[in-house]
Formats: sequence, structure tokens, C-alpha cells
Amino acid sequence: MKLTATFLLVFSVAPLGAWAAQPDAVFTAMQAELKRSMGLTLNQLDRPYYITYSVDDEHSWSASATLGGLLSSNSSDYRIPGVRVRVGDYKFDNTNWTGAGASGPRYDLRSFPLEDDPLVIRQYLWLATDSIFKGSLQSIARKRAALKSVTVTDQMPDFAPAPAFVHIADYTPIKFDQPAWAEKTRKLSAVFGDFPSLRTSSAEFTAIDSLHRFINSEGTQIRQQETAGLVELRATAQAPDGMVVRDHGVYYTHDIGHMFSEADLTRSARQIGEQVVKLAAAPIGDNYTGPVLFEGVASAQLMAEVLGRNLHISRKPVSAPGAPSQAATTDLEGRRGVRIMPEFFDVTDDPTQPLFGHEEADDEGVPGKPLTLVEKGVLKDFLRTRLPVRGYSDSNGRARLAGNYGASTPVPTNLLIRASETSSIEELKKKLIDLCQQRGLPYGIIVRKMDFPSSASLDEARKLLSGAGSSGHPVSMPLYTYRLYLDGHEELVRGERFRGINARSLKDILAAGDDKVTFDYLENGAPFALLGFGGSSAEVSVVAPSVLIDDLELSKVDDELPKLPIVPSPLTGTQTGTQTASAR
Amino acid sequence: MLSSKLVKILQTAALLAVSATAFGAEDHLVLNTMGEELQRNFQALKQKADPPPYFLSYEITEQQTTELSASLGVLDAKGSAKNRYLDVTVRVGDPQLDNFRRVRGDNIRFTSGTSVAIDDTPNALKERMWLETDRVYRAAAERLIKIKTNQQVKAADRDKSSDFSGEESYAHWEAPSTVALDSTRWNEDVRSLSHDFLKYPDLLSSGVDVSVQSDNRYFVNTEGTKVQHGRDFSRVTISASAKTKDGMDVSDYEYFDAADPKNLPSKAALAAAVKRVGDHVEALMTAPSAEPFVGPAIFSGRASGVFFHEIFGHRIEGHRQKDESEGQTFTRSVGEKILPEFLSVTFDPTLKKVAGIDLNGTYEYDDEGVKGQPVKAVENGILRSFLMSRSPIEGFDHSNGHGRRQPGLEVVSRQSNLLVTSTRSVTDQKLRQMLIDEIKKQNKPYGLYFEDISSGFTTTGRSGLQAFSVVPVIVYRVYADGRPDELIRGADIVGTPLASFAKILATSDKPEVFNGYCGAESGSVPVSAVSPAILISEVEIQKKDQSHDLLPLLESPLALKEVAR
Repeated sequence: MKLTATFLLVFSVAPLGAWAAQPDAVFTAMQAELKRSMGLTLNQLDRPYYITYSVDDEHSWSASATLGGLLSSNSSDYRIPGVRVRVGDYKFDNTNWTGAGASGPRYDLRSFPLEDDPLVIRQYLWLATDSIFKGSLQSIARKRAALKSVTVTDQMPDFAPAPAFVHIADYTPIKFDQPAWAEKTRKLSAVFGDFPSLRTSSAEFTAIDSLHRFINSEGTQIRQQETAGLVELRATAQAPDGMVVRDHGVYYTHDIGHMFSEADLTRSARQIGEQVVKLAAAPIGDNYTGPVLFEGVASAQLMAEVLGRNLHISRKPVSAPGAPSQAATTDLEGRRGVRIMPEFFDVTDDPTQPLFGHEEADDEGVPGKPLTLVEKGVLKDFLRTRLPVRGYSDSNGRARLAGNYGASTPVPTNLLIRASETSSIEELKKKLIDLCQQRGLPYGIIVRKMDFPSSASLDEARKLLSGAGSSGHPVSMPLYTYRLYLDGHEELVRGERFRGINARSLKDILAAGDDKVTFDYLENGAPFALLGFGGSSAEVSVVAPSVLIDDLELSKVDDELPKLPIVPSPLTGTQTGTQTASAR
Repeated sequence: MLSSKLVKILQTAALLAVSATAFGAEDHLVLNTMGEELQRNFQALKQKADPPPYFLSYEITEQQTTELSASLGVLDAKGSAKNRYLDVTVRVGDPQLDNFRRVRGDNIRFTSGTSVAIDDTPNALKERMWLETDRVYRAAAERLIKIKTNQQVKAADRDKSSDFSGEESYAHWEAPSTVALDSTRWNEDVRSLSHDFLKYPDLLSSGVDVSVQSDNRYFVNTEGTKVQHGRDFSRVTISASAKTKDGMDVSDYEYFDAADPKNLPSKAALAAAVKRVGDHVEALMTAPSAEPFVGPAIFSGRASGVFFHEIFGHRIEGHRQKDESEGQTFTRSVGEKILPEFLSVTFDPTLKKVAGIDLNGTYEYDDEGVKGQPVKAVENGILRSFLMSRSPIEGFDHSNGHGRRQPGLEVVSRQSNLLVTSTRSVTDQKLRQMLIDEIKKQNKPYGLYFEDISSGFTTTGRSGLQAFSVVPVIVYRVYADGRPDELIRGADIVGTPLASFAKILATSDKPEVFNGYCGAESGSVPVSAVSPAILISEVEIQKKDQSHDLLPLLESPLALKEVAR
């Protein structure tokens, strides 16, 4: 009885348009249990001052295939609960310290109930909250103890209050044709069979239809449908010297009812196959210092990596005495009001645009507004969460990825990079040739695609990270690198990586194209945003023109190369190498 | 050092189903594709590689699982998956000395259990076999070179046996095994069975889980063996746990196995199990804590099975006998008395059923493509044989079909269905009387009855203590003066293996089955242990390590009046 009353009250404050309001037993149970949990208390210890519950109903479909044969095909339904409890107050709580996340008692919690029984749902939330509350009490006690022996230089609150936000939308389940998509995946993967010199290849799709629910003790209530679909096509080959070359295409959409046309994907698979075969036959690039043209998607990929990943301020958590400092600073910290790009550039981040990065509210329940980050080349603002950072005490709704020590990581939504002075691609190429002539360079470099997000394996990524040496934040390798000779002809090269490229390189942009390329990806916080890495990710769209940047350095990859297989591929039947694995 | 665990709460149980029906080339596609690619790689490597391989094998393990669970009347998990894993074995050198030679207990692993196509697509399968063979060959060649260097700088091992045994080759084909979960029955049953736990408001967690798995194995080697075989497992698990006021976690569970899910127990039988589990946990919450104790005890047949699996079974796994880092408790004891003369122990992967229960450790061929064979390990107390894979040991040149693994790990010798039989067996009633007599004789306040056991653990390594531990769930104090048995909580059994055997006085006349999964170097493999109850003159128990967490602070929502279902 009482619950029903609460439920109605809640919806009466929701904006009119948003409340065709489907009944939702899960939502009701979450609210009832959250209210009760705010009363948690143990002796004279800290009490909860902020609790959030989220429950996401997820329906996912996926399949992967190689050479016409399915490797896997799955569809599953599950619910992902999220419970957060902060004890103490906004100024000082159990988070933002390296010992945050101490665990409470284990209650042998099973999976979250899949059906809408309020009692069983509340039983789960009750035990989860009790355990996290007790863990939080341990954390805050240890944090206080640590502060007896370390001094914190920046006295900032631990958490920023935020106004209540209510967004309640209806959910319409999507009918997804799993068998049809499994069959399409088979067919797509079979396209690579036409390129027998490939080493590996695959096609993969994932589609997710989810109902996201979020409430917090400040009165925020969010209930909305979230959908995402992606298709990944990958291929690798081995060059005669053993170097593994790769290419991939990743396509994202929110409209999983109408995922991509099969004809487009088939064409894309064929292009990837052709490109990898060409790469394997291409010469290895030389060391190069000079101007580089990032044409088309390569520019947006570069912006995503060197700009998008640096537009926030990190905060050092309290750490136990003697423990190493934990936070890596970003390239742009402390540079507000400083020119970081040429005057003809503006950068905004706009979650309201109908692009892949569109979102109503972030993971902390804060709605995002359009945000001017760079104006006339000058850095104006940062992407922020509810973790106060130096110079800022409030969130602008960019908490989109799980972070460390109870905080979230800020990630852009739709990052829009605009240039007011532009040139055609032909003019940019001419500029590149002119510059090379002036400097006595035999050729300039055009990059048309970066390996971002990367389809490299974890091992390869580790090698790349260590190979990048001390440059701090290494940038992905270029996938398509061309030499542009002075007479205008181009030559594909392989096996090069950038050295020392970072957010500061953006100051050296010489010119921007009159094009506008949209690049979508899933940010997961992994190095090079490795494909398929980890569970949590945020949709991002970057729109940027091509750019010509001066004084970049490319160097030849000099890693140890794997040997060619001794036995020829079963697909070619021809002889490849004749080496042996004899003792070194 | 090696540790192993027999855990029953993990999925599934057993029996070989499957019949060979009509089959044509189409049905042999996977096996034939494997055979072709195996020969192609073998011939090319023999010609071009240095050192050349002398043996290759491919094994594909196909697993199809379906699971469904519910708690308090509500589904909380459902899912199904089909996967195929490829294991590639390459041997370089010669059978006398190859890349699998164990050097001082190091962990050997060449294979990766990589995923391969679940469709029968020859090119997709071949490409993966080709790349894996190349990778495994290089690792094998590299290790052989290291071993040969090592041979020259270290003292020779005591066991001079070779690294790989010659075995006959087998050809066998069965139609792939497939079982399905009757979702109409089980969707309803897991809900309504788990709903019964609402009668126990103090439980913090409870559930009913049902799972079905089909395993199909495809194996080819360069000696001509070509086998395809499979079996099915299904299991219902009923579990509940709670916390006592002093913070101790108490739990109980029961599970039921059948090869074919149609043979799982009726709903009424499962409902009775829900009641037993609920009653047990409720009783455990108020039961007295165990005190350290040494004295006589009865192990139920299931508890005894785990006891034998841990303290005996693991110590007669063949490869441990030639590994110098192992404790080698029985290595030199063949022909000697190691158990009381009234006990015999057999391992029999060909046995399908005991006491109406499908056995978990049944298989037709092992993971080296050798036919599973019954092994009389102990006859009338005398050690006769070890469990053998194709890794020979002194005095045992051949495999007896006990080379097993989980996909992705290298084969070692493992247990199958362990069977303890006894010539000194009495009725349960008589055995209990013998316990009471023993309590009186030893002048103890009480004896113990271990009714059920969840898992066990043993260390066989030389560097550690030769010990074992089993974790009982349901233990009673049995009084000699006629008082009723008293349930206790928080007891762990500890001991050393050799000492424990000598203390077995008698057994009951009723074999009981413990089905479970055993973990060791080569991963988790399904096994069973069958034994009558045993009376032991002296068992030692210690207090279990326990948490001191407080109970939940707020009242359970189940107890709130406002919540109506």
C-alpha cells in the first residue's frame, strides 16, 4: 500500500511528456529499499549520506565467425545491479582514497532476479547494501587512520552535490533476429576466404537492448531504453619478413532494429581483405620527421585519442603512508586559458546532438549540456564528474566510465571539432608537398586510418606500450600510412609508429580540411581503447576535419618479428617459408 | 607441489549415452578434417622442421550447456552456450626423451585450448589447427633443446622410464551426443521448488539450479587413432546458506545427477530435498560449535569416497611416481600392504551406474585416445597398480586409459570412478554399534558421524606437508549413553594419509556415490567416488576458520508487513 503511494508521488513530479509511465516493479522496489537503506546505522559510526541503485535489464545477441564457420553464437538476458553507498558527508567520505572499496560480509549473493518480484528484488538489494555499507565503514575508518600520518595538499570535498534529475521513459522491447544475424556473420566472414594469404580473419556482431534504471538518495530518477549494436571485421596477414599487419572495420549504431546493410558490410570486408594483402606486400617505412596529413577518419581518430582522452583533470587520491602516488596527470591539466590549438579551431562537446555519443544523463545521474571546451584555440573548460578537482567543484555530466576509488572517469559525448579556416584535401596535399620541398624532404606522409580502437591482442598492446618508451601516453599506430612524393604519387608503407605525439602537437596544426568526418567508437579506458576489452564502455562520436600537422616524428618498428609458419596455409596449398625452428 | 580438490557443488553428473546410428561421410566431417590437417602438418614438419616431430595429435572438445536457476520462486539465471576447444600435441625428440619430460616438477603446457568453429566448416577448422600446430611445434622444439641441456648439467633421475608409451590405435565413432533440458518442466519446477525456501526466513541465500551438458570429443593422432565419442551430464543442485549470530557461515546442499535429464528425480523427491536442506541450515544456526576432538568416527559412504579420493587416489596417479618433487608415498610399495586387508580399491571408467546413480567418472576413451580400462589398484590391501596415462613409469610401460584433462591443459594421469569394496562389511546398524563400543573402549565422551562432506583437499608435493583436509557439512556427535545424536557446526577434518588408513576398522555393506569434479594440474575433470560407510578408530577435527561479520543490520524485507507479493 505504502509503496504504491510512493510510486505515484514520484511520477507526479515527472515532466508531463515523459510519463506514459509503464508500471515497473523493479523501479518501485529499488525506491522502497533505497529509502529504508538511508536509515542504516551501526553504533556511533558514520551514516550513509548518499546511496545509488541501478538495475539494467540487458538483452544481448552476438555471434562471431571465421571463414564461413561460426565460432560462437549467443543470446542472453540478464540484469546488472549497481549499488553505491557513501558514508560521512560530501566533504569527507569513504571514497577518493586508495583503500576505497573494502569489502563487507559475503552473503553468497546469487545473480540478480530476472523476474519482477518486488520481495526478492528487495531481498537482493537489502543484502548488497548491507555488505557495501559495512565495507564503506571500514574504508572511511582506514582513510582517517592514514590521514594521521599523511598531509593532503589540496583540501577539496570528496563529492559534489547535484540537483535531482528526473527522466522517465517508456521501454519497447526490440525484436532482434539472432539467426539471421548469425547467418550474415557467417557470410561476412566467408568473404575473407577469397584472400588465402591472410593469416587470420573474423566477423563479429553484438547487439544490446537494455532498460537502464537509476535512482539516488538526492531524488534523481532515470528510466530509459538504451540500445547499441556493433559489427567488427578483422583480418591479419604476415609480411615476408614475418611482420604481422592488420586492418579492421568497426561499425556502431543505436538502431539495432536496422543494423547496417549486408551489401555495405560485404564491401567493407572485401576492402579490408584487399588492404591487408597490400600491407603485407608493402615496404617498411623509414624514420621520418616532418609534416603529416591526417586525412579523413584518421584525423577524428587522432582527436579522440590525443584530445578526447586529455580533456579532464585528474585528482590524486589519499594514499596510505609510503604508498606510491596513484594519479597520472593528463596533458592538458593546468592549461585553462592557454592556447592549445590554432585560433581557427573551436571544440564543443554536445550530448544533445543525435550522434552516437548522445545521452540524457551520465553514470552519476547528471544531465549533460553542450559544453565549449576550446574557443578560438584557447582551452576553456574540462569534462567533469562529481569528483571535485582543482579549480572546479561541480559536475558537468561527463561521468561515463567507471573510475578508481569510488570516482568515475570523464569521457566526451559528441566531441565536435570545427575549423573556421579550411582548405580542400587537394590544397592540403599541395601544402604538404610545398613544405617537403622547402625542407628538402623526398616525400611527406599521409595517414588515412589509425589503429584506434585497436584490434591488437593484449600481448601486442603491451609491446606497443613498452616500445613507446618514456613518452607517457603512447598513441595508436597508424594503419594506413602513405608516402606522398613530390611528383604527387603515393606509396603505401607499413610498420611505423609515432613518437612523442600528444595534445601539445595540436598547436602545430598548420591547416584544416573542408571535410567533416564522423568517427564513432566505444571508449573503455584501455590502452588504445582495445577492442573487446573489459565490460564498461561509453559511446563517443568525434566529428573533425582533416588536419595537416607539422613536425611529427615517425619511426620504424624494430620489435622482434615472429617467424613465418613452417607449414604452408591450408588455404593456399603453396609453399611459404622453408625455415626451421632449430636451436638458436 | 600439487593440490587437488573434489568439489560437488560444481555442475553435473554422468553416464555414457549415445548410440551409433546411421552415419556417412557428412557425419565424419570434423574427424576427417582433423585427420587431413594432422597428416598435412605432420608430413610437412617432418620434411622441413628441425628437430622434426615424431608424434602429433589433435583433440576437439565440444561442450554444449544449458542452465536454469531460481531463488525464492524467481528465475535468476538462464543461459546456454556451445563451444569447441582445440588441443594440439606435438612431440619432438623420441619416445625415450621428448619435450614432455618433467624436470623437477615444472609445469608443462604447450596447448592452449583455443576456440574453434562450432560449425562443421573445414576451412575454418583447418586454419586454426594449422596456426596452433605451428605455435605448439615451436614451443615444443624450444623446450626439447632446454631439456637436453638440463640433462647434461643435472644428476640423472631415479626413474629411467621413457617419456611416451607405444599404444595400439583405436577407431571408433559415435553420433554426437545431444541432450536438451525440458524447459517447460524446469522453468516451472525451479521456480516452485525454490519458492519453498520462503518457509525459512533466516536464510540469506538459497536456490535451485539445473544444468545439462553434452560433451563430444574428437581425437586423431599420427599413429592412426581416430575416435569420436561423447556423453551427457545433468544435475540439479539445491542449496541454502545463512549466518549464525556469532558470524559463522553455515550452509547445506544436495544435488542429483543423471546422464539423461529425463532421469532426474521427480518434483516430489526434489521438494523433500529442499525441506532437508532448509531444515539442516536452520538446525546448523543453533547447533553448538565443534571443539577440537580426537576419537572414533563413522564416515558415511559419500564422505568416505571423498576421503579415499583425496588421501589415496591422488597418490597413485602414475606421473607423480616419477616426479622428484612429489612426495611419492606409494612409489616403492607395489606388492606391499598399504590398506587393511579387507579393503580393495578399483578405478573403473567403464562402469556406468552404482546403486541406480549414473557415475560422473565414466568415459569410453581418455584424452590421449586410449580406451578407458578398469584398474585394480589395491587388492585385499596390497597395492597392485597405478593410474596410467601414456607417460610410463618404472614397471608400468603402458597406459590404462587414465590420461585426462580439461581443454587447454596437458594430459596427466587422473582418477575416473573410484570404487572401494570391503570384505569386512556389516549393516549400518551394526557399524553404529561398533562405533559406540569403540567410544566406550577409548573412554571418549562421544564419537562423530560425518553424514555429508562438501569437498576435500590434499597436498602431494615433497616440499609441503603430506596432508589432507576434507570439509564436512553435516556432522553429528554420537553419544555412547543413548542420548540422541547432536548436530555440530564448523568442524574440519585434518590428518596425514598413511596414518589414517591403518585406523579403518570396518565398513558398512551399502555403497554410496559421490559425484563431483576433481581439480589438479590438468584441470577439472568429472569423477566419482563410491564407497560404503567406514568406521575409523581415530579422527582429528579442528575448528573451522570463521568470519566474524555481523548479521545484516536492517530487518529482512521478507519480514516487512508492507510488502505483499
